[in-house]
Amino acid sequence: MQILLVEDDLSLAEGLQKGLGREGFTVNHVSNGAEAIHAVDINTPDIMTLDLGLPDLDGLDVLRQVRKKHPDLPVLLLTARDALEDKVAGLDMGADDYLVKPFAMQELLARLRVLERRISTTTSSEIQIGAIRLDTVTHGVLVNGSSVELSRREYMLLKALMENAGRIQTRENLESRLYSWGEEVASNAIEVHIHNLRKKLVPDFIRTVRGVGYTVKKA
Amino acid sequence: MSSIRIFLIVVILSIMTLGIFISALHGYRSGISNAQQIFDSELADTAQLLSVVRDDYHPGDTAALETTRYVFQIWQGDTLLLRSANSPEILIAPLTGGFHDRNFNNHRWRTYSLYNESSRRWVITAERLDIRNSLAENIVLESVLPVLALLPVLAVIIWIVVGRGLAPLQRLANVLGHKRADDLSPIPLKDQPVELTRLTRAANDLLSRLQASFEREKQFTANAAHELRTPVSALKIHLHNLSEELPDGEERLQALVSVTDRMGHLIEQMLALHRTTNDQFIANFTGLDLYKLVQDVIVGEYASLEDKNQQLEFRGVNSLLRADQFALETLMQNLLNNAVKYTPQGGSILITITDSAGAIILRVEDSGPGIPGDQYESVFNRFQRIGGDQNSSSTPGCGLGLSIVRQIVELHQAQITLGKSEELGGLSVSIVFSGKRMAGPDGKNDG
Repeated sequence: MQILLVEDDLSLAEGLQKGLGREGFTVNHVSNGAEAIHAVDINTPDIMTLDLGLPDLDGLDVLRQVRKKHPDLPVLLLTARDALEDKVAGLDMGADDYLVKPFAMQELLARLRVLERRISTTTSSEIQIGAIRLDTVTHGVLVNGSSVELSRREYMLLKALMENAGRIQTRENLESRLYSWGEEVASNAIEVHIHNLRKKLVPDFIRTVRGVGYTVKKA
Repeated sequence: MSSIRIFLIVVILSIMTLGIFISALHGYRSGISNAQQIFDSELADTAQLLSVVRDDYHPGDTAALETTRYVFQIWQGDTLLLRSANSPEILIAPLTGGFHDRNFNNHRWRTYSLYNESSRRWVITAERLDIRNSLAENIVLESVLPVLALLPVLAVIIWIVVGRGLAPLQRLANVLGHKRADDLSPIPLKDQPVELTRLTRAANDLLSRLQASFEREKQFTANAAHELRTPVSALKIHLHNLSEELPDGEERLQALVSVTDRMGHLIEQMLALHRTTNDQFIANFTGLDLYKLVQDVIVGEYASLEDKNQQLEFRGVNSLLRADQFALETLMQNLLNNAVKYTPQGGSILITITDSAGAIILRVEDSGPGIPGDQYESVFNRFQRIGGDQNSSSTPGCGLGLSIVRQIVELHQAQITLGKSEELGGLSVSIVFSGKRMAGPDGKNDG
């Protein structure tokens, strides 16, 4: 998995290169916007992490330029800015995710894994948390090594939760993942699916945060 | 405090009173003297009249006069030919022509003696001085008194005129007084009297320098905090790498990791405090759903909850209010982080939103140790942490949290109260939003 790291702070870039390298990513580093646009053109990476505060160009301009030729390249924004407008503008312009500095390595890795699975090469299609193993290519789910049968919606629900392990998925959030626009959703549909899913998994795997949503504990 | 208006009025009134009194006094004295001359000439004319009346008087004759003011005598040699009935029988004035002041009949009299050559008679007329003086005084006072009566009227006019003269000053004071804390725009110069233009220019100059220095300070804080985020990220990443490479790294670097986290936290809080400071805060009030906002914040902060294995429950209803979204998110993050921080491993946190007719109440309760009642007030102070620097929570914090919370609460004209949680036994923080409902002052929802 090749990552293009666009970051003007050399110490941070060095640390990220080392840390991500250990996790099996190949990291190419450029430190300004012009080089970034050039690098994407000559050797398109699998994922780009882009700092918004670059010395030569505004990060959002780099994003706009890159999106013209590479509409599908997953882009993760890293930024020291926090204004809501910047965040919205970044996501509007086609960034896939957004991480505000200072962030923890684990958080960056989690976000990268989600992007990685989205482009799903077979090597990284499996998510293993505790006794549960989920294959995003074959849609197979193993509990303690033995296969269980899940309905399409149960599978999508489990995938959403496992991909975002350690984070809460609100009911609204899950509904919008499971159902398309205009589709009739019973008010307790998610509860029913979770109930059924729990019976097929190990106890306490899916946790309820009352009033907020559901979560799966990080591995 | 001295007042220009009162000073001017007192001084002007004093000067006018003094002037009026001096001129009244002068008028009185010259009036009296004029009156005396008139009366004197009357006396002389009367004597003249009496002297030319030709008659054969028998010595000792009297003539009755209806007035007590005048008396007269007509002498021929040593014989009193005729006298007014109220006149004594002795000579009342020396037989030398002209005016004399004499005492008789228990009064002081002004006399006039006149000698008629042809009849060889002396005619003496006399006028009682006390009556004459009181007459003269009446005449003079009648002309002087109205001027004195004018004084109060003048005082009122002066009061009004001085007030109007000082009105531009009052207006300037109002303009300055009603300026919002964050409004450093110059005061308009038009329609101002010359005397105030200089003052206004000086004030405007001061305002612009203040604005510049605010701007610098604001930029500095924001830039410094933003600039610090990147090195702190680098520090965190390097620490992570180090802890992966060292045997038992995670354990051995724990202290360093927690200090780094604390530093990052402090930077964030400084930024939040800065952004919500009254004179920096430009409220961007929109209609929003508090329920949704709280839910989002819980989702965002969930990792720290899970680390401490704490149970969180959120009970609420959709509650629409007008607020600044960023500020409210900061508020909620701080309340939640505080609860997580001071609640022990495996403890419980309860967040509720109740929306009753008048108010929306956001309450965060925990099962931690709570805060002693007498410290409720002091926890809002900046850099104040319960238990001082030896804080037992051993979690990152800088003591800015609740002071930011209070600032945001005040910006939204809400109320914050601390208490003991009835359900969980720890601290209960309640924030009451009232009056800031979806129907804002302009009655429209721009959210």
